[in-house]
Amino acid sequence: MIYVLYSIVFVICVYTGRHYWFTLNRLFGFQRHPYIDIDTADWPPVTVLVAAHNEERVIANILDALMAVKYPADKMLVIPVNDRSTDRTREIVDKFVEDFPGRIQPFHRVVGKSGKAAALKDAMELVSTEVILIFDADYIPGAGLIKQLVAPFFDLEVGGVMGRVVPMNVNANLLTRLLDLERSGGYQVDQQARMNLRLVPQHGGTVAGVRLSALREIGGWNENSLTEDTDLTYRLLLNGWKTVYQNRSECYEEVPEVWPVRIRQIMRWAKGHNQAMVTYGVRLLLGKHRATLRERIDGTLLLGVYAMAPITLIGWALALAVFYQGVAPLHGVIAVLSLTAYAALGNLAAFFEIAAAARLDGTRKRVSLLPFLILGFAVSIFSVSRAAVSQLSDLVTGAEFHWDKTERFRKVL
Amino acid sequence: MNPYLAVAVLVCTVGLLFMLPLLPALVELRRKSDALPLSVVQQNAGEIRHFANSFRDYIKGLEPIMQSCVAAGTSATGTLLDGEEYVVLGRLDEPLVRALAQRDATHPVVIAAGADLIAPPHATFSRDIYAGAKFQGGEKNNYRAILGEKDVHLGASSRVMRWVHAVGEFTADLGCSLFGRISSDSLIRLHANCSFLRLNAPRIEVGHVVNRETGLPDSSPSNAAVLRRFLHDGDFEVHAGQIISSNIVIRGRLLLRSGARICGSVKSLDDMVLEDGVSVEGSLIGARKLSIGPHCAIHGPVVAERELAIATGTRCGTWEHPTTVSAPSIEVEEGVLVFGTLWARERGQVVASP
Repeated sequence: MIYVLYSIVFVICVYTGRHYWFTLNRLFGFQRHPYIDIDTADWPPVTVLVAAHNEERVIANILDALMAVKYPADKMLVIPVNDRSTDRTREIVDKFVEDFPGRIQPFHRVVGKSGKAAALKDAMELVSTEVILIFDADYIPGAGLIKQLVAPFFDLEVGGVMGRVVPMNVNANLLTRLLDLERSGGYQVDQQARMNLRLVPQHGGTVAGVRLSALREIGGWNENSLTEDTDLTYRLLLNGWKTVYQNRSECYEEVPEVWPVRIRQIMRWAKGHNQAMVTYGVRLLLGKHRATLRERIDGTLLLGVYAMAPITLIGWALALAVFYQGVAPLHGVIAVLSLTAYAALGNLAAFFEIAAAARLDGTRKRVSLLPFLILGFAVSIFSVSRAAVSQLSDLVTGAEFHWDKTERFRKVL
Repeated sequence: MNPYLAVAVLVCTVGLLFMLPLLPALVELRRKSDALPLSVVQQNAGEIRHFANSFRDYIKGLEPIMQSCVAAGTSATGTLLDGEEYVVLGRLDEPLVRALAQRDATHPVVIAAGADLIAPPHATFSRDIYAGAKFQGGEKNNYRAILGEKDVHLGASSRVMRWVHAVGEFTADLGCSLFGRISSDSLIRLHANCSFLRLNAPRIEVGHVVNRETGLPDSSPSNAAVLRRFLHDGDFEVHAGQIISSNIVIRGRLLLRSGARICGSVKSLDDMVLEDGVSVEGSLIGARKLSIGPHCAIHGPVVAERELAIATGTRCGTWEHPTTVSAPSIEVEEGVLVFGTLWARERGQVVASP
């Protein structure tokens, strides 16, 4: 038991060190934004896929925004992927098709497997351009965003591109404010540090792009994946393609405003991530492919992010058990020093990262909400652990994964 | 003391101490003083002419005064709506230029000229300048910003702090320092020893450019995106005169020998060197140092993540297909021609050709 505990402590320390490494790199390291200056070019044709399942509250906003972007109109085709919607999504999309002839080609999917990956896979029959951009329907791209997301594809090593997600309904309540801080830390620090250090920036499946030839090479969208974005990131990496992150390519999104929706969202992410970990983890770390050593290590750590929640809970339980068994895990002084050091630095790693992100964003007061992140952390650790347990029980019972669509909160137009 | 009371006091004190760090959080949660979404609206993202366009709108109110000054051949002074002082010049003659020069070493007024404008040398213009016709700057001047409706010509060793936009041609004589954005709707011409950051024009000439055949067609768009990809781990060399019809991605150093032609795009994860007369039909991306030329021709975007050196006679982009040349540090020899954008994030320098 004590050795299991040692292992868990070691893994937690690795993740703690990783948080500090990323944050310090973001604060003091060389920042890579190699493609952001490409503002003049012979822009390639691009297809923009808008994934939509019952999106009557938001679909008009994104189509409006896409019709106003600064990209040659004759080189951009928007395909709203209306996946079995039962609300007014189809009606709204068809109205846009009428208003903007030749610029929008709808894909109304009425049957088929549930899930975004399955819908995107079916929509690929309409796609012929080498560059594909993907947005969820609740996102609102700015005028310059399409060019910024297309620019990295001039680099033939790039298979996937990811932009930055910025919550727009920040001031709704405590949850949205905490999610705003979390997103800030995740993108402003985590993703950009991975980009700086040539590690594995993660494809987010929205505000994102993929190269058609790369997608074909890796076998297209994986409809069995709960998080097609994570799945895509790793298959691209294993096949010698890079995913790059563009921190200055920001796009507004709507974050969940109620805890049950947030919990369902993070549970789906956790299940999808764990699924990718099982599928690609060993192959990434030890297999024969073109990823570099640092990509192998970072990619594996990234795959294990959601597994850390149940591991931490197990660690806590083991620590208590060891204590009541009367086992001294380390020599007394070393134990006290380790505990003090971890309390001083380890517990603060994630908070340090988010505070640094808030500073980099130039915000002032929102960082004072940092202590409340304990609440978000507690909800996440139990939700993610619950997801892992349910995933294991699904394996035993043979139950199929269930796709949970994230509920929207915008007022119907 | 009553033991129950003591416990209650202890619990309350500990609770209070525990809540203390939450106090700023609770205040912010209630006040929502920093609860707006991050400002990331990109309506003008990357638009190099944004400031020039805004200034043109800003100066619009002076148009009637400018017209009357031009008609009467006089000048006028006054204050704009936001309190900025202005001088409107309606004619170009010696007394006016002298007056402008003698007014002060600095000129903290917005200057709007309806006719040609000649700025005296050794002067500092700390407010924006609008030139309705040609603008000719004297030597060793300092400018904040200039909008010229026709040609703009800066004298030797002048400095621009923010931006210049010329509807006509923009020319910077020897040794100018161009901080900020420089754009023209027709041509930018830089002479030796000029430094720059961001330039955009249909045609950018560095020094004296000699038109010469480069082996690249002027009008055919690149089909680099649909070619197959050749991926190589380690250093690589393309032999002199060799023609490669694919995109190449090299995870090491790359050397393209004289006269090599790549009918596709090129990426190198280490230093990359293009020798004399190399042509690339797609993009050229270097993860470290990139050295181009002389007499090379690149069709697509050129990006170096660290340093970029371009030798004389090289052409980037074409008139029909303008492109971007970008790196943190760029050194360009005289005789280089760029169609589109030349963007040095930290430092750009024109050097004399050998």
